[in-house]
Amino acid sequence: MFFHIVLERNMQLHPRHFGRDLRDKLVTKLMKDVEGTCSGRHGFIVAITGIESVGKGLIRDGTGFVTFPVKYQCVVFRPFKGEILEAVVTMVNKMGFFAEAGPVQIFVSNHLIPDDMEFQSGDMANYTTSDGSVKIQKDSEVRLKIIGTRVDATEIFCIGTIKDDFLGVISDPGAAS
Amino acid sequence: MGSHEALSVDPFKRLVKLAARAFYDDITTKGDKQPKTGRSDNRGIAVVVLDALTRRQWVREEDLAKDLKLHSKQLRRTLRFFEEEKLVTRDHRKETAKGAKIYSAAVAATGDGQPGGREGDEKLKMHTHSYCCLDYAQLKDELESKNTVQEYICPNCSKRYTALDALRLISPHDEYFHCESCDGVLVAEADKLAAQELGDGDDNARRRRHEKLKDMLQNMEEQLKPLMDQLGRVKDLTVPEFGSLQAWELQNAAGRAANGDHGNDPSKSSQGFGFGGTPMPYVGETKVEVDFSGIDGKGEIKSENGNAPMKVLPPWMIRQGMKLTEEQRGETKQEAKMAGSLTAVESSDDKKITDEKDDVKNIQDEYVKAYYAALLKRQR
Ligand SMILES: [Zn+2]
Repeated sequence: MFFHIVLERNMQLHPRHFGRDLRDKLVTKLMKDVEGTCSGRHGFIVAITGIESVGKGLIRDGTGFVTFPVKYQCVVFRPFKGEILEAVVTMVNKMGFFAEAGPVQIFVSNHLIPDDMEFQSGDMANYTTSDGSVKIQKDSEVRLKIIGTRVDATEIFCIGTIKDDFLGVISDPGAAS
Repeated sequence: MGSHEALSVDPFKRLVKLAARAFYDDITTKGDKQPKTGRSDNRGIAVVVLDALTRRQWVREEDLAKDLKLHSKQLRRTLRFFEEEKLVTRDHRKETAKGAKIYSAAVAATGDGQPGGREGDEKLKMHTHSYCCLDYAQLKDELESKNTVQEYICPNCSKRYTALDALRLISPHDEYFHCESCDGVLVAEADKLAAQELGDGDDNARRRRHEKLKDMLQNMEEQLKPLMDQLGRVKDLTVPEFGSLQAWELQNAAGRAANGDHGNDPSKSSQGFGFGGTPMPYVGETKVEVDFSGIDGKGEIKSENGNAPMKVLPPWMIRQGMKLTEEQRGETKQEAKMAGSLTAVESSDDKKITDEKDDVKNIQDEYVKAYYAALLKRQR
């Protein structure tokens, strides 16, 4: 799920950036530092949408670096148990398959793939129904449901299922070729 | 009392009660280090809490603690556990007198049999209050157990992993998961039992293992049968959904004003259609009449049958229990006046209470003791 929230961060800036575009430097650095990162608490920081406030800078002893407390608005993405996501398959193996929904990695174990789909090894490993009508392989798009998340301080990993109504392949790259 | 609950909720309530007894009757919310003896043994509380929640919709946790004569900390611990289990939804908010009023009105509208007269309580102003509610939809999902986290085990060093470790277990060389310590090829847990069956080892050990497995399976099937039956029954029913605390309050307040009934219940509004010809269990309004003279008699019967497994208490018995467990606080008197027609029981040290009320209270107290005792006995 996406959230628009306000976060705070202490930014250290080298004295060479002090000047009239100090604020711009600060924002640029902030974007570089936090966009694309993940915290277990808030999820993946997708994009900064605005600066709420920049507090008074504090010179650090001995270095000359200045620390500014910056409050910023950002869009975060955090997966939840029970959430339905659309994801792109990145890897298929005998144990199941891995997929990505934006920054989130999801593993679907073979127990949570419908029973009528069987694993086929080969250069393009895949899960296929017996009549061959549905195939899951690398780059397939699937709709899945999150059934578990592992949230560490800097990482979120999910496991999902496609063994439920309306879940499974939504577009099959192999079908076109 | 709660007899006007939407009919289609009842199977779900029964499902919760069954699940509570099947999976949570041995749960203790204390650390494992503490001895599970005597007073510190709070096994069974989980069942009591879940049961109580089936008779309510959204409820302020403080009130629930009082109704159950539980310490609020203990209740909170249990609720937090169920929140993690995804069976219970909670909401926390800073409360104003106005907020409390809205909540009280909503409770009154659902006829949950709780005191509605809290709005005059000055102490409630601007405190953070927590509310909780059963999440029936999640419960059903959980029990259908389609969504189990797969476990893997290393046949060499017996190290265990779950699907959540998948990322660290993949190997660039083959299609399997590999043990982090010894690089052994991991086996999915379910397959492992089968492998053991076929594996070597002396015949006796194998036979014993086989017997044990068979027993386990049979036990499990027996114990889970009522649960599975109930799951079958609710399969095509609309899951009761009370929405968020705010939505629930709004709906109930509005629903009451509109028709003096519970047009608020979403499961009710969709009751008339969409069941795909599945015969609906529990058809017919359950009107429950209770007279006090019958209580203690029933209480004894309950104690006798206390250790019969899977015996679900008739809802009205627990309902009585709730009423009498009303905590006597300083403001009970005031509250009793305001909520007079409802359920408040005056504190026993109140000289004004009539003998009749005293009797009722004694009976109720006896009853709740018997109920807890029976429950504890069954846990052992
Ligand atoms: Zn190993």
